[in-house]
Amino acid sequence: MLDKYFPEGTVLYRDDVADWQEAVDVVTAPLVKLGRIRTSYVDAIKESIRKPGGTYIDLGQGIALAHSRPEAGVVATSLSVLKVGRPFLLADSPDHPISTMFCLAAQDSDSHLSLMQSLAAFLSDAGNQDRLGKVSNAEELKTILKEER
Amino acid sequence: MKILTVCSTGLGSSFMTQLNIDKVLKELGVTGVETDHRDLGSVSPGDADVIFVGRDIADAAKDLGDVVVLDSLIDMKEIKEKLIEALKRHGVAVPGEEQA
Repeated sequence: MLDKYFPEGTVLYRDDVADWQEAVDVVTAPLVKLGRIRTSYVDAIKESIRKPGGTYIDLGQGIALAHSRPEAGVVATSLSVLKVGRPFLLADSPDHPISTMFCLAAQDSDSHLSLMQSLAAFLSDAGNQDRLGKVSNAEELKTILKEER
Repeated sequence: MKILTVCSTGLGSSFMTQLNIDKVLKELGVTGVETDHRDLGSVSPGDADVIFVGRDIADAAKDLGDVVVLDSLIDMKEIKEKLIEALKRHGVAVPGEEQA
């Protein structure tokens, strides 16, 4: 059910990434290509992560929700996701190893209510957290997002 | 009673935390608790009875009142435990606690 918020080509798997910046580049690239976000939104996400406390997008369980303010460059509300085989360190912080990074592009503070409800229900499910951790290719990731739990 | 969830942008992490808190409140059968999500810059001391934040902005939020720090925003067990404590601290009845 959650999969309807992911446009074509936005569910990604990589064995590894060089660092968190590359993870942000990879997870946002399809949304930029599809015109859902502007490159300014990518820059805003990186800037936000670099700031003190910027690792607040680490939700726990190795899952991060990369996002910034709508006015930073969101064109259309959407999601993308990147799972990596080897965790990277968010903001180069050893306290924040991340293996799954979602990118949230929300057009305004309210219109993404149903998206956030689906995402919160999905991510707060311990079974889904386990399944996400074990994913080893994009097809598996798509299947997990499609299944209603 | 009013609970605010707070993060830096006020629409991602804090919104998710609010939705998870709403879910636990419903499970526990707790009524009369208002919840909302905000960005750190727009919250002043006294805006809420309890403020939930992630560990990374705990320092920035520490002067806002009764601040509860979550290690994970998607660990329902942690949210439930810390929410029940907060409700009790503010004298709110928790009907479903035995099943929790």
